[in-house]
Amino acid sequence: MTVHNLYIFSRNCTLLYYAEWNRLNKSGMTKEEEAKLMYGMLFSIKSFINKISPLDPKDGFLHYKTSKYTLNYLETPSGLKFVLNTDNSAQNVRGLLQQLYSQIYVEYVIKNPLCQLNEPIQSELFKNKLDELVKSSPYF
Amino acid sequence: MKQQNVDTKTNLPDTGEADECLFEYLHAEMVNYVLSSKTNGKEGEEELSPLEWMGFGVGYRIMERLTREWARFKDELDTIKFICMDLWSSLYRKQIDNLRTNHQGVYVLHDNAFRLLTNIGAPDSTQYLREAPRLLAFTCGLLRGSLANLGIVSTVTAEIATLPSCKFHVQVQRV
Repeated sequence: MTVHNLYIFSRNCTLLYYAEWNRLNKSGMTKEEEAKLMYGMLFSIKSFINKISPLDPKDGFLHYKTSKYTLNYLETPSGLKFVLNTDNSAQNVRGLLQQLYSQIYVEYVIKNPLCQLNEPIQSELFKNKLDELVKSSPYF
Repeated sequence: MKQQNVDTKTNLPDTGEADECLFEYLHAEMVNYVLSSKTNGKEGEEELSPLEWMGFGVGYRIMERLTREWARFKDELDTIKFICMDLWSSLYRKQIDNLRTNHQGVYVLHDNAFRLLTNIGAPDSTQYLREAPRLLAFTCGLLRGSLANLGIVSTVTAEIATLPSCKFHVQVQRV
């Protein structure tokens, strides 16, 4: 099982954080461009799902799967977006994403008065804790 | 809010997540506000005395509350011990880890994981080391205010070597 990479987007489409653990295929463009592309796709999927759903889409978009990887998506009510790519055998990554949000992002970014909100995250402590959490998860 | 913490301490042992972060956020905003409202002449030196004064007032009042069921303290060391244990645990949910004194009016209070610093930096990184002192000014004043209410005039300074830990130097002024 592997965790490939993680994107955190703010409500207004800034890439707050990007981390990579096991990514074999590079996209061949800069991180900024890639983030824009990713955000655009997520945005489209979200509105696609909301429009096309025959029933009330409660949680909206949760994940998609290709033959090689799964993209797991968590959006908080405040509009933060967590995107985690894992392999297909990882089940129920949502818990991990929730944990990442409540135990890492809130603790080490929101509660750090020296961190600017809605700007790329610089804190080293955040980085370390995030790495720790992902590496200790059963999916890694 | 601190007052409230003291009052509800008995019936709410370790819950109360909401009121804890309320103080943290308010403190962060106070620091930001004080920094932004002052136009500093000298670059690199921040004007933190308003923060210290706020801390002084809070400390002075809190002491009134905390010591209401206590007998008079024997001596200075006793008072400082009270601060390290009771005041600290009612405000920061832990006690001071280490107290040193030279028995001539200098006390060093060592906190290994100061609550206002725990979410900022890891011990092995030097990031934010320069900005961190501004988060201690309020607490310096708090110490000074609480000591003042117990009849001890002092100056309090803080020092950070590695991040979540810090030292408060209390220098008692003899008249």
